[in-house]
Amino acid sequence: MDENEIRRRFAQLRESDRVRAPSFAQIYGHTRARRSSRAAPRVRPLLIDALVAAVASAVFAWHSQSSSPSTPRETIATWRAPTDILLRTPGSELLGTMPALGASVLDKIISTPSNKGT
Amino acid sequence: MDDIELKRQLERVHPDCFGWAMACCGRNRDDAEEVLQTVYLSVLDGRARYDARSSFRTWLFGVIRQSAASERRKAWLRGLLLMREAGRVEPAALASPDAGIEFESRRDGMQHALARLASRQREVLELVFYHDLTVEEAAAVMGVGLGSARTHYARGKARLAAMLNNSRDL
Repeated sequence: MDENEIRRRFAQLRESDRVRAPSFAQIYGHTRARRSSRAAPRVRPLLIDALVAAVASAVFAWHSQSSSPSTPRETIATWRAPTDILLRTPGSELLGTMPALGASVLDKIISTPSNKGT
Repeated sequence: MDDIELKRQLERVHPDCFGWAMACCGRNRDDAEEVLQTVYLSVLDGRARYDARSSFRTWLFGVIRQSAASERRKAWLRGLLLMREAGRVEPAALASPDAGIEFESRRDGMQHALARLASRQREVLELVFYHDLTVEEAAAVMGVGLGSARTHYARGKARLAAMLNNSRDL
């Protein structure tokens, strides 16, 4: 079989395809329909996003209003960590004061007859 | 190129595009139409952009080929998932996406012979003999080098001739 015969066979195939081919208008019409149906759903997610954002901001505003404190808020300067209590050790009072000359550090915590009178 | 000009160009090459889409879809008319719609949509939406490095038809053939391959993969995956859900067969038992083409159309000796060729050989022969492209243009459509396209062309032509001769002898 030579090249011309192959060419002839392909030409037959091409002719049979041309007979079966849909018109351009038909394909183009479907394409345009797909294009418009694709464009429509794009609006929907935007609307949903806007709605969700509006609801979220409304809930946030309501929540911040209802939880507004009647008592003044604690400032950062006065705030203490809840675990500060763990730092208190027995005898920390002795270490936190400056002893005076002629006096004992124990005087402050032990009541003796001499310091009772003072 | 504006929408009107694009539409005019598409209309001009439409019959050729349909023939090529048929070749890429195993001569299944429904699949070919689906692929053409997808391609026209991507061209009109600007997702596939003509860069004027080749002729409009050659470029469009490349887009059609890619879209058809993508559709085949999707269809194959869909089939795989459905069959897995049904629990009927193991994935290994499924044919590959390209192999599906070979069983699509067996109407006459030529189509049967074409379906039995390797996909690259079939593509280059369709492009050269059916669409009158040069081997170089066919290589551009297929996204392969010129040397590779020439090899596929020569081997495909010899194999096709042998198959057609055999079918004639029978």
